[in-house]
This record gives sequence, C-alpha cells and structure tokens, in this order.
Amino acid sequence: MQLTSNDDYIIELKNVTKIFDGETVIDKLNLKIKKGEFVTLLGPSGCGKSTTLRMIAGFETPDSGDILLNGHDLTSFPPYKRPINTVFQHYALFPNLDVYDNVAFGLKNKTLPVAVLDESGNQVTKIDKKRIKQLLKQKKRIKKDKIITDKEKEERLKLLDEKLDYAFNNPVPFYKYRHLTEQEIDDKVVKALSIVDLDELEDRDISTLSGGQQQRVAIARAIICEPQILLLDEPLGALDLKMRKDMQLELKDMHKKLGITFIYVTHDQEEALTMSDTIIIMNDGVIQQIGTPEDIYNEPQNAFVADFIGSSNIYNGTMVGERKVKFLGKVMDCVDDFEINSQVDAVIRPEDIHFQTEPKEGYIEGKIVSKVFKGVNYLYVIMIGHNEVLAQTIKSYETDKPIYIQIRPSDIHLMKRDNNLNVYTDAYIDKNNNLIIGDNLFEVDVSKLVSQSRVDESGYVVTKDKEYDFTDADVTATIPTTAFLISDDTDGANVTGEIITSVYKGDHYVVLVRSEDEEDYFVSTPYTFNPGDIVGLKVDASSIKLKLRGDLTSYER
Amino acid sequence: MVKKILSYIYIYLILLVTYLPILYLIVYSFTGATITGQWSGFSFKLYGDLFKNKEILTALGNTLILALIASLVSTIVGALGAIGVYYMKNRTRKIVESINQVPIVNAEVVIAMSLTVMFVFIGQKIFQGKSIFSFYTLLIGHCTLAIPFVYINVKPKLTQMDPSLYEAALDLGTTPTKAIHKVIIPQIVPGIISGFVLAFTLSLDDFIVTAFTRGPGLLSGEGQIETLSTLIQAKIKKGAVPPEMRPLTTFIFLIVVTIVIVRSIYVNVKAKKASKLLSLHKKRRIKLNEK
Amino acid sequence: MKDRAFRKSLAIPFALFLILFIIIPILFIIFYAFTDSNGYFTFNAFKEFFTSTTKLNVLLISVLIGLFNTLLCLLIAYPLAYLLSNPKINKSYILVLLFVLPSWINFVLRTGALRDLLSIILGWFHTTTGQHPLFCTMVGMVLNYLPFTILPLYSTMLKIDYSRIEAAKDLGCNPFKTFCKAYFPQTLAGVISASMMVFMPTISSYVISDTMSEGKIMLFGNSIYLSFSNSDWNGGSFMSLIMLVIIFLCMLLTGKFQKESEKGGSGSW
Repeated sequence: MQLTSNDDYIIELKNVTKIFDGETVIDKLNLKIKKGEFVTLLGPSGCGKSTTLRMIAGFETPDSGDILLNGHDLTSFPPYKRPINTVFQHYALFPNLDVYDNVAFGLKNKTLPVAVLDESGNQVTKIDKKRIKQLLKQKKRIKKDKIITDKEKEERLKLLDEKLDYAFNNPVPFYKYRHLTEQEIDDKVVKALSIVDLDELEDRDISTLSGGQQQRVAIARAIICEPQILLLDEPLGALDLKMRKDMQLELKDMHKKLGITFIYVTHDQEEALTMSDTIIIMNDGVIQQIGTPEDIYNEPQNAFVADFIGSSNIYNGTMVGERKVKFLGKVMDCVDDFEINSQVDAVIRPEDIHFQTEPKEGYIEGKIVSKVFKGVNYLYVIMIGHNEVLAQTIKSYETDKPIYIQIRPSDIHLMKRDNNLNVYTDAYIDKNNNLIIGDNLFEVDVSKLVSQSRVDESGYVVTKDKEYDFTDADVTATIPTTAFLISDDTDGANVTGEIITSVYKGDHYVVLVRSEDEEDYFVSTPYTFNPGDIVGLKVDASSIKLKLRGDLTSYER
Repeated sequence: MVKKILSYIYIYLILLVTYLPILYLIVYSFTGATITGQWSGFSFKLYGDLFKNKEILTALGNTLILALIASLVSTIVGALGAIGVYYMKNRTRKIVESINQVPIVNAEVVIAMSLTVMFVFIGQKIFQGKSIFSFYTLLIGHCTLAIPFVYINVKPKLTQMDPSLYEAALDLGTTPTKAIHKVIIPQIVPGIISGFVLAFTLSLDDFIVTAFTRGPGLLSGEGQIETLSTLIQAKIKKGAVPPEMRPLTTFIFLIVVTIVIVRSIYVNVKAKKASKLLSLHKKRRIKLNEK
Repeated sequence: MKDRAFRKSLAIPFALFLILFIIIPILFIIFYAFTDSNGYFTFNAFKEFFTSTTKLNVLLISVLIGLFNTLLCLLIAYPLAYLLSNPKINKSYILVLLFVLPSWINFVLRTGALRDLLSIILGWFHTTTGQHPLFCTMVGMVLNYLPFTILPLYSTMLKIDYSRIEAAKDLGCNPFKTFCKAYFPQTLAGVISASMMVFMPTISSYVISDTMSEGKIMLFGNSIYLSFSNSDWNGGSFMSLIMLVIIFLCMLLTGKFQKESEKGGSGSW
C-alpha cells in the first residue's frame, strides 16, 4: 500500500470513517486538498463537515482510515503537534488574557530546532525517537481498526514494521529545541495584528471587543504560528449580515496574502460560492460533489446538490426517446441523453424559466399563485397541475392569471437517478396524514418527520414541547424498489399501473410500472412480467422515507 | 413617609435582635467580671486570660488546622472532579450530580451517623476491634460536608465557559495538562475561591460531624481532638459561655467584618477597572507614538 | 480519544470520594438499621421505634417544632425580604449582607451567648431559662435560621417582574388582591426553598435544642446523637434511615411544587 502521495496535495483523507455512539457520521471519506487552495466544506447541519474539520485539526481520531499531511501520516498526532490551526465558531478567545497575550499564546508554545554539533563541528545524528514513537502509535491504531479487512491490516502492519526497521537503523540529524525570544514573539504579534487591522487594540480586554474585533483576534491568533493549513469552523456565523459580507471579502484577501491552505466550513451556500476555489458538498457523511463554484452551480451531480445550491426546480423525469425527457406532464427536448425509460432528475434554475401572458406553440400553461418582490426581481410560484414551479424575472406579472412557460432545452439539466430508489420530490402530505404521490395515496407515519415525536389523536405531530401540523406539507418521498409487492391482483393495491419495461439484473428483475396518473415506480421482483401487463403494487409503508422540503419551523402550531 | 420610617424600624429592629448575643459577648469582654451579666468596670483582663487559656488555644489551633487542610483537600478534589465530570457523557454526569446532591440536602446528623457506623464496622472487622477514629476520620467527615459544595460552586463556571477554549489551547500547541492549567483553571478561579471559602466556613462551624467522627490527634495529642465547636458545646452544657470566649468573639467579629469590607471594596474597584483600563491604554499609545 | 480520557480521569478522586464516603455509608445505615448487634437480620429497631411512645413523641415534636419554626421564620423574613428588595427602601447589598454576617461566627458560640442573654433577660422577670424550654428553643431556632430564610426570599424577590403587578393594578385589583394574585405567586419558589432550608435542619438539629432547652426538649437530631453516645448503632441507624426517608419525601413534594409554581410563574398560553 502506498502511503505517500502526490506533492501537490497538502492534505489527504483516505477511507476515513468516524463512528459516534454506533452511528456512522463519516463514511469512508476520500478527499484530497491542494496546497494553497481555499476549500469549503458545505452541507446542512449534521452532514459531517464539522467532524471532518475536527479530524483534520486532531480533536477527533478517525475510527478507520488515514489522514496524510504532505504525504505523511498525521492520524495519530495530537492537535498540539499538528502544523494546523483553527479559527473557532465562537472564537474561543481566552477571556483571562488580553488581545496581545491571546495572539502570542501559540508562539509561547512554539519551539524552533537548533542543530547540535559535535566537537569537530559535524552535525550530531541520532536515532529518530519521535518517528519511532509515531510509528508505534500508528501500529496500535491500525491494530484497533475494526473496519478494514484482516488482509489489509496485515499488509499495513508489515509496511509499518519495515519503516520501523528503517528508522532504527538510520540515524537522523539531531536537533535541540528552543523557545522563541520575547523580541521574536513581539515582532510576530505586531505583524499578525497589523494583518487583521487590530494594531491599536493590543492591550484591550477581550470582553471589551466587538464581535468583529474578536473575530479578527481569533484569526490573528491562528495565523501567527504560520500553520500550513488554516481551518475555519463557521467563523462568520455569529456576525450580522453586513459584517459578514465585509469579512468574507477580507478573508479571501487574507488567503491571497498568506498563501496558505484554507479549509472553511459553512452551511451557507452563498458564502461558499463567493469565497471558495473549491467547494466540497457533503450530506450524511458522504461527499456529494467536489468542484469549483461554477461547476457546482451549473452542473450539479445529483438532486441533493441542485437543491442545496441555490433554489431550483427539481422534477422526476423519464427518458422517452433520444434527447427527449418527460416531466411536468410534457415531453421536452433536452441536451443530455440517457438510456430510454431510465429515471432522471430534471433541474431547472428559476432564472431559466421564461414565461409570457399569451399562449404559444410549445409553451406550457400554468397559473401564478404567488409573487414576492426580491429587490431586483420578482420570485413567482407557478402551478402546473400539481407541480410547483419557481420562476424569477424582473418583469411584473399579475397573480391568478394563466401564463405560458417556456423551458429551453439547454436550461434543462438532467441527472441520472439511482434505480434502487424511487424518489418523489413533488409528494405532499394531505390532511389525514397520508402521503400523496401523483393521485395515489399511501398511509405513512408522519411522526418520522420529527425526531422523538408521536402523532396525537387529532392528527398533529407532537414532541415534548412543540406541535406540528403537516397538512399540505411538501415532502420528498423515497421508496426503495424492494418495498413494493407486485402482483396481477389489482384489488386493494396502493397503485395500479402498466408495466413499461422489465430489466433482468442477474437475480431479480427491475420493472418500471407507470401508474394511471403517469407516475413511475421502479420495483424489484423475482418474477417475470411482460410490458403491457396491468399490475397492482402494495407498499410496505414502514420503508417509505420522508423528508420535508421546507423548514420544519414553518409547520409549528 | 410614615411607611418608610416604619419599614426602617422593622429592618433595624430585627437586625439588632440578631446581633444582640454577639454584641453582648463583645461588650462584656471589656470587663473583668467572670459571672454572666455582671460589670465590674472596664478592663482588658479577659484578653490576657484568653492568651493564657491553653484549652481554648489548643481548640482554636485544631479548628484552624483542620479547616485549612479539609478545605484545601475539598477544593482540589471538588474542582478537579467538576472539570472531569464536565467532560463526561450526559448520562454519567447526571448520575454523579445526583449523588453529589445527597450530602447537600441530607441532614448533617445523618451524614455523621452513616460515616461513624462505617468507621465502627471497619474498626471491628478489619482492625480487630481497634478504633480507627483519628484525625483522618475527622478529615473525611469534614471533606464529605464540603466537597459537594465546592463542586456546585465550580460547575457553573465551567458551563459558562466556551467549550472550545480547551481545544483552542491544544490547537495552539499546549499539552493537555498545560491547557487545563493555563486555560481552564483561570476560567473557574472565582468558583474555586468561593468553594474554598465555603468549605472553610463549613469546617469552622461544624459541630455534629466533628463530634461523631473525631479521634485522638492534632494539638490534642492523645486526647480526643477538641475544636472550638466541641469545646464550647461541652462548656455551655454545664454552664455559661466561658468568660475567655468573649474576647475571642471580639476577634472573630473583627476578622469577619474586615473580610466583608475588603471584599466590597474589591468588587467596587473591579467595576471601575474597565474605564480605567481604557485610559491606561491611551497612555501607552501616546508613549508608543513618541517613540 | 485519549485526551478526553485524561480529562475525565481528573474526576477519579472525586468519584471515589462520592462512592466511599457518601454511597457506601448510606448502605451501612440501611444494613445496620435491619440487623442486631451480632449482624443478624432483624426488625427489632423497626419494632422498637414504632412501639416506643417516647421515640414517636420525639418524631411528632420534631415535626411540630420544625413546622412552627418554618412558619415563624417565614412570617418575619417575608416582609423583611420584601423591604430589602424594594428599591425605594434599600438599594445596597450591604444591608442584606449584614443579616448574614452573624452566621459566620461559630454557631455553638452564638447559641450559648443567646442562652446566657436570655437567662439575664428572664432573670428580670424572676424566672429562668430552664422553666421555659420551648420558648427558649424557639427563640434560638428563629434567630439561627432567619438568615437562611431571608436569602432565598430576597433573591427571588429581586427577580420579580413588576410589569405583572402593574398589569394587576391596571385591571382593577386592590393592593391585597394584587399581592395575592400577582406578587405572591412569583415568590412561591423562594418560599418553598426557604422552607426547605429551615424545616429539615430544624428537625435534625442538636446543639440549639440541647442548649436552649437545657436538655429538656428532644428533637430527632438529639435522639440520634443519644444513640451515638450510647453506641447503639442499630437504633441510631434506623432513626437516620427515617430521617433520610423524611428528607426524600420533602424533596419529592417540593420538587413537584416547584415545577408547578414554575409553570404558573411562566404564564399560561
């Protein structure tokens, strides 16, 4: 196994897994970050971005996998031995020290190597005890790993033994270490404070500083040790909007000046788009997409990314011909191509929806149901059948009037959907707490939408201190293909439909059932069905996964 | 207006009544008469007697030594305990805290009895009937009283602290031990001090636990350790407060009043410090500019 | 993580202390309460306690004196705390501190001094402290526990939301009704914690009753002390256990009360 890697990458995460209380927070994460880049880890809260950052900083140790810095294993180094510094979310300034001492804190712990010469002036060499200690720690860590295979474990232990052998037999130059002098510290503190524009405040108490000033002290404190990587954990979260915008630009500027790698964690997509060279989007402990801000905005790889970055319209589509996709009840031309009858997600940005009041050939009829003025332009919600379409334009239109929509082929972005899952982004909950997909009704447990809750007699979802009413709540419903029971018997079935395709997958068939209301269901079954057969689908309600499309708080009673 | 005057009368009347016993001892410390309530002219004779009374001086010495050691031990154990428990899982923390609450709500006499029964048992079963009551059992008794209070004094300071402080210190290159010493301890010092003071006063004032758990030792040598509480109790069971205790009351009262005054001055000074700091800062700036 | 283990390990002495000197001694009390002097299981102490009229009397008198003392302390301290917390009458914390200051002087000494003083005063009326044990005990109790009543009341009264009192007046309540409906409910939590600070220590006190009544009034604390002096570990343990149960019940009761008063205090919606 190769443990060193390309020089271009300053930090590398290999198959990193982190488990908290039996729950996998980070799942086999692989990540490479280039030297000098401004990288942002972006994702909703609980997606694992902070845990990833904390593992790089050394506050958490991965349960499996390696973290390499410049190609060398860093995993078992404690935080105080890593050339990495952090700007914390709430700054974590030491309240008992003033600005100067806060900034100088790291320098006082820093030591510099001094070469040791023997009597004849030659460099003294000794066995590298630190390296041996480090390698032994690594061995211990790999032995404890419960995730990698025994074979891999054996191989890696062998490699480490070889390295140990090498370290024992090859003495390296020996250094003594000295602390920095008062003058050296003073020079650096003055310089760091001037970088963050705080040179006037060095003897102030932390408690007398404003939020923005505290932020600057935190940055100065972190950059003064000249780390190879600066980690920033949602550092602007506590600032007000205007301050945040200013700091974004300043941070970007600082990154240019310092030339070191910045790894930035945020849940704010706009912040990520403005500041980053590279954005890494995470969800559920898994990386969804890595790319430049432009790539991520224009070419989202899946529905999650499309949904998370900017507001988008996402629809279930089915390929019905060469470069022809069907969604919103219409067949449309597109530029992406997938296998016929495959399920796709169609993404259209609100600014790409064009509409007018006169009907026209190829335009879809809809109705404006709401209109919000956003300063420069208007945001409209247009209903086409049961589907909502978000549209954005500078022109003002009247609500409750029919309008006609045009979607250009180049503005439709198609993404291949996993066939093991049926994802319905336009599902909703009716007043009896049933899930509605198309015209079909499924009995579901809506208490799944809120953790530790139950449904009371009147149909509200209650937790210890809150009550929610999910009537008409828009949800994304996910149904695994294995959750369906398919048969010729259509009585008492949740869905009745026609078999469109049937694909043999080695030990089972995946059939596509199109219901009477034109919704598509992928179903796995051991039996053969012929296209054209009319079948009934029964659904195991417990395996339907629900996710609210909107904000939970807006459903509070 | 009448209402206000009546209010003041009520406040000061009750204040007077609560101070009467102490004032009585202090006033009568300046007379030579040893019989309660008699005044035989102004004299410092009792003050001289106090410094000749070996019994009282021994008890005073015992009380102070015990209080100092007990409060030091309690502060260290309680404060480190609070730090350790702060980093435990929620569930463990809740269990530990409810156990910690037991001696706080429990009656002193029950704490004393439970410890005594245990010590008696250990003496009988492990030390072949030899009594293990000594300075150490007494120390344990006083620590049992004080440690929970130290804990509840330190804990809020920890919860008020930014949890990232410790990690920030590690991030900036300090080892874990140094991080606790340099970053966490300074944050909880106010809690540690108030916990220490509380532990000290609890120990000074205690009678029941002392009476139950004491054995021979300290300045009392072979005899049972006598503290001020147990000595005075033994005396007033038989008769009036010994005359030599009157000057001692004067001293204690003076010390307590001094501490209160010094403390309120300190608090005042601290409040004014912030504005002062600004001007100091300006002065330094001017000096720097001149350079 | 290793580092976390290091931080947790700081609590080891503390945890050991809790186990060795709080939990295990209580287990010993339970053990001794249900064994005889030879260590055999028995209900003797139980039977003896509930059949002995003297011991049951001690329990009854303790509870009565405890309740009476709590009531007296509240009656004196409530108006006092109100005046001290009223910004029109008192703004400084020093006056409050003055009420607490005597409690920093050894309480055995204070109790003795009070008894001596009382005997002088009673002397003027040609009687002695020994002839009025209950009166003297009550005076001792009230004076000793008054500071502990004032403090919790004072601190809850400082936090009172005056807009609610103004609202009550605005809605036409007379001063008495305003007090009952708007002021008192807000201080209930303080009243409960003050009562707890007085009631339980009164029952289990030893020095005050012993000194002030010259040994004529036996409270629960005195009773336990007596079995200690007689090395009656089993009887003493059983009474301690009863005391523990009483404390536990009081905690349950006040816990429930406090929750309800908090609910009422935060308003209904």
